[in-house]
Amino acid sequence: MSEKCPVSETIARLQETIESGELKNPRCRRIAEEILDLVEDIAWGGASEEHLPTVRSLVQEFEEGAQSAAGIELAAWLQMTLEESGEVFASHITTHNCATGDCDKLTPAPCQMACPAGIDVPTYVTLIGMGKDAEAIEIIRRDNPFPWVCGLVCTRPCEFMCVRGRIDSPVSIKFLKAFAAERALSEHRYKNPPKAPDKGKKVCIIGAGPGGMSAAYYLALKGYTVRVIEALPVAGGMVMVGIPRYRLPREVIDREVAMIEDLGVEFVYNTRFGTDVTMDQLREEGFEAFLFAIGAHKAFKMGIPGEKDYPQVIEAIDLLRRVALGDRHVPGRRAVIIGGGNVAIDAARTCLRLGCEEVTIAYRRTRREMPADVEEIEQAEEEGVRFSFLTIPIKVEGKDGRVTALHCHRAELVRREGSSRMYPVPIMGSDFFIEADVIIGAIGQRVDSECMHELEDLRWTRRNTIDVRMASMETSMEGVFAVGDAVTGPATVISAIGGGKRAAEAIDRYLEGIPQPKMPPVPVRRARVPFIEVPASTKMTLKRPEMPLLNLDRRRTTYQQVELGYAEKDVRDEAIRCLRCDICKRCGECVKVCRDKMGIDALQLGYLDFDHPVQTDFRLTEERCICCGACAENCPNGAMQIEDRDGERILSICGTILNRQKLVYCEECGAVMGPAKYLDYIKKRFHTVGQISADHMVCEACARKRAAAPNLGGLPPSNI
Amino acid sequence: MAFRKGQRVEVFKKSDDEGWESYMDEFIGCHGVITDPDTAINDPDALVEVSLEDRGTHRFPQDCLRLLDS
Repeated sequence: MSEKCPVSETIARLQETIESGELKNPRCRRIAEEILDLVEDIAWGGASEEHLPTVRSLVQEFEEGAQSAAGIELAAWLQMTLEESGEVFASHITTHNCATGDCDKLTPAPCQMACPAGIDVPTYVTLIGMGKDAEAIEIIRRDNPFPWVCGLVCTRPCEFMCVRGRIDSPVSIKFLKAFAAERALSEHRYKNPPKAPDKGKKVCIIGAGPGGMSAAYYLALKGYTVRVIEALPVAGGMVMVGIPRYRLPREVIDREVAMIEDLGVEFVYNTRFGTDVTMDQLREEGFEAFLFAIGAHKAFKMGIPGEKDYPQVIEAIDLLRRVALGDRHVPGRRAVIIGGGNVAIDAARTCLRLGCEEVTIAYRRTRREMPADVEEIEQAEEEGVRFSFLTIPIKVEGKDGRVTALHCHRAELVRREGSSRMYPVPIMGSDFFIEADVIIGAIGQRVDSECMHELEDLRWTRRNTIDVRMASMETSMEGVFAVGDAVTGPATVISAIGGGKRAAEAIDRYLEGIPQPKMPPVPVRRARVPFIEVPASTKMTLKRPEMPLLNLDRRRTTYQQVELGYAEKDVRDEAIRCLRCDICKRCGECVKVCRDKMGIDALQLGYLDFDHPVQTDFRLTEERCICCGACAENCPNGAMQIEDRDGERILSICGTILNRQKLVYCEECGAVMGPAKYLDYIKKRFHTVGQISADHMVCEACARKRAAAPNLGGLPPSNI
Repeated sequence: MAFRKGQRVEVFKKSDDEGWESYMDEFIGCHGVITDPDTAINDPDALVEVSLEDRGTHRFPQDCLRLLDS
């Protein structure tokens, strides 16, 4: 599935050639060994910035001195590998991660790989488990300047890939992040990192959404002068005007935006690009690079008769924006929302809070096909939102200039030939009416490209989004970059943040004259924190906590935050459920050696397989395990560990104690002999231990001495 | 919407869609989970976000994906 890692391939090639003895020239052999040492450092995460230039110069030296056929061939191979894959070697050094997983120590965790911003999840979750919330936030902000915002509204791809989900349920990564951010702020320990010295170069960002502001943050840290132009009177973009306050309080956004302002980023509000300011004006002011993060704020029309005839037919995104900016007028007594996504749910729940008496969501398909988050749908139902499934709107009905109803057809789902997709088809004669005073369209948004008309050379996709190379967010115009929904269409906050971080890196490269990467960057391993020790029974029995919610009456009438957050004990316990996949690469070597070589089969670790996970129970290990240590010996990464401590031999995987057995000591010399189960196993196999007497345990050396003693009785001391 | 959040999929072929970039060639055969489907307009043409096992999260055209289970 994965391509081979050129770093580990280089190690194998060097080892093979050196061990073959074909490098006859001692100087060449020494240089090859030096190259091997340095490349091994890179594969183990122990390399510095000097390593790659040194490897390149040693390869050059090796090539000049190579005389044998094997030496010449190796030199050519090394030169070619460094030429083609130098970027991968450099990535290993800077990120401490190997995307292919070939370099054992650098295999990244699935949660980190899944995060569009590449946050080092296992590290910050473990730090939260240790109670080090500010340190956790510091780790998160290296990849995402909005930990509190994301802790409340992230779509959490990390949790979908969480390996713990193969055992029971994923670690509640999102809510842990929110807790840590809040706690770090309340302790006044949520701080910006130091900025690099001023580079004397200016970057303009158009749009103060999560993508634009993330780029602003990382560019400011790199020493650029950054100005953010925003059409709205507030920062946040869709996070501010698309997500209702009961999911994301304004305070949260404002606090994290203020952190970016504190870095010296200038925000210019109520300024629309293309109308209030032009590219030429900005260039004249000295801006050398531009990032467009204009979002997707224009709603699709429903395309049904009557839609344009009544002022009570409105767009969900306009309603949400108006409410976010302070409007609290009731849109109508009976509201019908058309659509099945999160925006439809947000609009419906907002209508309830504004005072609408009846709120109905009309959706063409069934509940099963609804794209909105399950939690959001459930919360909307609890609050009193009604759903009309298999409902196709065909006309807005009205009288005297006011909407009176939505005329609909019942639908059935039909599979079309050659397609796995189910399509809603109207049932003729099934007409019905949903009485309404306001009808709200929530069928999707698109990019408003009108403001971009002056950029004639900017290429657009057929989806009407800005065409970019996703590795660098470069557009078709030199010095012009783009991120967020303007590039992807309506997408997620974390996707925009990841894009903003990539764009900042690419803008830096552009302004420094460094070539752009061909691939999206590999996430960076930020630390290698110690394991949290926990018994297997605790690891298995801790359950993901339920999120406490605001009471229903308040949810129907106020914009107070619905999800109240975890209590501290729940947070610390939840963090302990993490399996530390940044260390355990799930290679299964421990299971194989225990089952196939030792014949014990004590490890019930079914979660190791992504496609076919079977039962996992850490508690079962102690039933059969003899604490021989073969699993730990064969673990390439130090995830599985065995140690003798306080009279016991303790076996653990990433801190989870799988087995602990009392040690037996030699009665003669006091040396550790191992646990009784282990000695029994050895005895059965080799019949050498405990042969003197069943009641007296002595080590092999003492047993040999005892056995030899009678025979040595007549010899002079010097021969003993 | 052909894909729903949480469904397991395979990138089973290259797509001719403009949303397919050359670096995606090496993802063919990879398995992953749908993390952000076409949530708005049920457009079979929309790009969907997939978290691939150990290969990161990317937006793919739908024609290169197939369900591993249903």
